[in-house]
Amino acid sequence: MNNMDYTKGYWNPYVAGIALGLVLTFTFYVMGTGLGASGAVARTAAVVAHTVSPQAIENQAYFKEFYREGASHPLFDWTVIEVIGVFVGGLISVILSRRFSVGIGRGPTAGVGLRLFMAFFGGVIAGVGTRFAMGCTSGQALSGGATMVVGSWVFMMAVFATAFGAAYFVRKEWS
Amino acid sequence: MGPLLYNGVISFETSLWLAFPIGLMFGFVLEKAGFGDSRNLTNIFYFRDMRVLRVMFSALVTAMIGLIVLSYAGLFDYNVLVEESLMKSYFWPQLVGGIIFGLGFVIGGYCPGTAIVGVASGKIDSIVFLIGMVFGIWVFAFGWPVWGWFYKSSDLGRLTLWQFFGTSRDLMALIILIMALAAFALAWLGEKWAPYDK
Repeated sequence: MNNMDYTKGYWNPYVAGIALGLVLTFTFYVMGTGLGASGAVARTAAVVAHTVSPQAIENQAYFKEFYREGASHPLFDWTVIEVIGVFVGGLISVILSRRFSVGIGRGPTAGVGLRLFMAFFGGVIAGVGTRFAMGCTSGQALSGGATMVVGSWVFMMAVFATAFGAAYFVRKEWS
Repeated sequence: MGPLLYNGVISFETSLWLAFPIGLMFGFVLEKAGFGDSRNLTNIFYFRDMRVLRVMFSALVTAMIGLIVLSYAGLFDYNVLVEESLMKSYFWPQLVGGIIFGLGFVIGGYCPGTAIVGVASGKIDSIVFLIGMVFGIWVFAFGWPVWGWFYKSSDLGRLTLWQFFGTSRDLMALIILIMALAAFALAWLGEKWAPYDK
């Protein structure tokens, strides 16, 4: 049996969920749109590539949408600013809860090398997925889900069905 | 009346000032939910701790009902949402994107927003995940000649579940609420089952 001490000390999941739902309601009330995350990473990817070759990125088939004529800097964007808030909000909570600790989340028998390789590899795959879906768990599953968007529900079902199925094959990483 | 931005109550510049405090609350709650640690995020897929399902569905249902309540109270114009600001649906790209993203989620251990909270928590794997994501977005961008035609294909426009199923908004919301309650019960059973920890 796993030692599950790391699951302790957090809010009751229903309380956390309702709190998150109220933040999301407020966001829709103000913005008409929900919360996001992956868009900020996409813009960061564009800006990093832009430092290497500005011309190529401004004309690149996908990245050019972040460099339209007369548009502000790609990082001067609602979702990017919101994600900076997510980082600071997470940091405040971690500090107030005295939970900050440098470490690697992995299963009790999984090696550090395996876990970090999988974190990178999974990140690459997830990054590709967010672009096809035009969003992630925040923008599509949660925000689109709450507003009953067809494509978001398709996305959410596909995410969970795939992850439950694939979990068997990576169980050593998490067990 | 909301949505404030679409109804011209606040300007785009003002909305940018609200992005940071909204993100702050979002990140704070994600951390309190336990989502700064990849183990808490992947436990759901092993039926060890279904907190991801509980948090996610209770958040989804709260916001879904919250917006309906606000619209009945005359504080939120739901028509503006449906006609102007709702996300568009692209059936095949979102299905394929969901399959790819689901793989990345269970392998990588995070989703983008939670990885940001992971970084704030000091988790090395979340930084590595985000670096991987940047590479993944480059892969997507530079693979455009291969799949550019597929991006934004099968455009369904702004389409809600109740329109798709030909029912009313409130009945659809009720069905989703019942589905969520059923999912909470199944989550409890799943934890009892715990097939990977026998």
